[in-house]
Amino acid sequence: MSKIVEINNISKSFDESLVLDNINLYINQNEFVTLLGPSGCGKTTLLRLIGGFESQDSGQILFDGFPLKDMPAHKREINTVFQNYALFPNMNVYDNVAFGLKIKKMNSEDIKIEVNKALKLVKLVGYEKRRVDQLSGGQQQRIAIARAIVNKPKLLLLDEPLGALDLKLRQDMQYELKEMQKALGISFLFVTHDQEEALTMSDTVVVMNEGVIQQIGSPEDIYNEPKNKFTARFIGESNIVDGVMLKDLKVSFGGFEFKCVDKGFKSNELVDVVVRPEDIVLSKEEVGKITGVVDDITFKGVHFEIIVMVEDKEYIIHSTQRQTIGSIVSLGIGPNDIHVMRKSLEESK
Amino acid sequence: MKSLNKLSYPYIVWMTILVVLPMILILVLSFTNIDIFNIGSFNFTFDSFEYLKRPEVIEASKNSIRLSFFTTVICLFIGYPVAYYFANTKSKNKQLYIALIIVPVWSNMLLRIIAWEKLFYPNSILNMFGISFDLIGTDTAILIGMVSMYLPFMILPIYSVLDKMDKSLIEASRDLGANTLNTFLRVVLPLSLSGVLSGVLMTLLPSMTAFALPERLSGGKTLLIGNIIEDYFMKTGNINAGSLISIILMFVITFLFIGLLRFDKEGDTLL
Repeated sequence: MSKIVEINNISKSFDESLVLDNINLYINQNEFVTLLGPSGCGKTTLLRLIGGFESQDSGQILFDGFPLKDMPAHKREINTVFQNYALFPNMNVYDNVAFGLKIKKMNSEDIKIEVNKALKLVKLVGYEKRRVDQLSGGQQQRIAIARAIVNKPKLLLLDEPLGALDLKLRQDMQYELKEMQKALGISFLFVTHDQEEALTMSDTVVVMNEGVIQQIGSPEDIYNEPKNKFTARFIGESNIVDGVMLKDLKVSFGGFEFKCVDKGFKSNELVDVVVRPEDIVLSKEEVGKITGVVDDITFKGVHFEIIVMVEDKEYIIHSTQRQTIGSIVSLGIGPNDIHVMRKSLEESK
Repeated sequence: MKSLNKLSYPYIVWMTILVVLPMILILVLSFTNIDIFNIGSFNFTFDSFEYLKRPEVIEASKNSIRLSFFTTVICLFIGYPVAYYFANTKSKNKQLYIALIIVPVWSNMLLRIIAWEKLFYPNSILNMFGISFDLIGTDTAILIGMVSMYLPFMILPIYSVLDKMDKSLIEASRDLGANTLNTFLRVVLPLSLSGVLSGVLMTLLPSMTAFALPERLSGGKTLLIGNIIEDYFMKTGNINAGSLISIILMFVITFLFIGLLRFDKEGDTLL
């Protein structure tokens, strides 16, 4: 697969605070890449750099093999779906969608055909004459997408486009966006702070924090094999416990030794052990297992969220079995459910 | 809220005495032949309409329209770029610039007019610098005076619209392939039209009705419709014709205002 965008050693600061710190990343043709991170992590800035609304302090961005640096935004074959949609209030739906094509001086017959195709794709045929402020949030969002894709960009940038929609609509749009991306065959670079959204839609997830890429990988990798504490915490809920790697395939935490599938650590290296809440199986008190007291239980719909106190450490467990508060339980953890991570640099210092 | 409504009664009384009654009086004067020196008896009549055909009234109307039109056009061409600059500048002194535009409006208008007048006579303080103007009596003098008086009223509403405009719309336009000129013509300008219209009315109306300014800066040579009204009231004592012209002028202004309110429904650009 050929790379459509290549980002090399990009750094950017605003007023002396470093927003992007030596970012390296590439996006393949026809790939759905998501930048995921908390607000202020630099993901939107990175998107704006690619779109041409900011310029980097150092490093370069290659688009289709050519550096983007001196190319103004209006010449880039990249279109953006803005966070607040940024639809032109002085134009109706048709004119909004046709804007890019009119600028390109396409003849009006062709524009009609293309706009119609785009509106069909976002399921808003028949809304051409509406004013944009008469549309609901979801409809405005789709018009914003139609307005961008009608130009057939090689890369579509989406800046938290689903943030303002309600849960049901957001889930529908996640699915539709993914379908659209497959149908159109163009690369999407999607920015979000919603980890579930990132996992649902993406081919590749890029986890960012404080201007630094924490991890790049498929949604499964990111979820199952987080590289560090930040990723483990940010992607889903997890129990992170201090442990010691005794030798390959053997880790000790919570006072017991466990078989695991991780290797390549120094012997007796201090590590973080990640166990996902849904991977812990609760049972009656058993010898030879981590044992604790049920401290709290919350009904979450599909499952119960159970907090078990083991000495001073809280474990979060997701289970479909109800437990009574105060009862003593044992935690069953299988080798595949244990994920061992190196301690991050700051901590080991 | 009801108890608060009572607080407005004194204002309603004052409004009636100071605004509504004089209006009714002017309306009555327009259609009667009350003599200012003999108020006792009068008849309803349309005699005053004869005055509208008088050469000095026609001449003054032409002057008013011409000068207010040029004033407005000049203000627009100077005011829009200035407003655009203020709305888009990242300068930290932005508030100061805005203040500099507003402050002159607070000083007495007649003083500013007289200041210009002095500069436009051949013998002025400017002789110190070897400069001498002889502009009194020309349209140029009146236009310079009017533009300097009314420019802030053009800049501020346009600035207000441009400043409130969502900057991401400009980015969206560039993103879709429009260069700076296209972005301006297709997005920024159409979205700022309500501000332009406000600005146009705010300069057109006062410049059309001005009377002190043309009198001083033309040395009494160029009469505007405001000067005619003043003459009829204060000098020739023809209060009936003066009232009629006032009423007509008021109707014109009212219609212009209604036009603005229709266009600018939110009313957010009117100062």
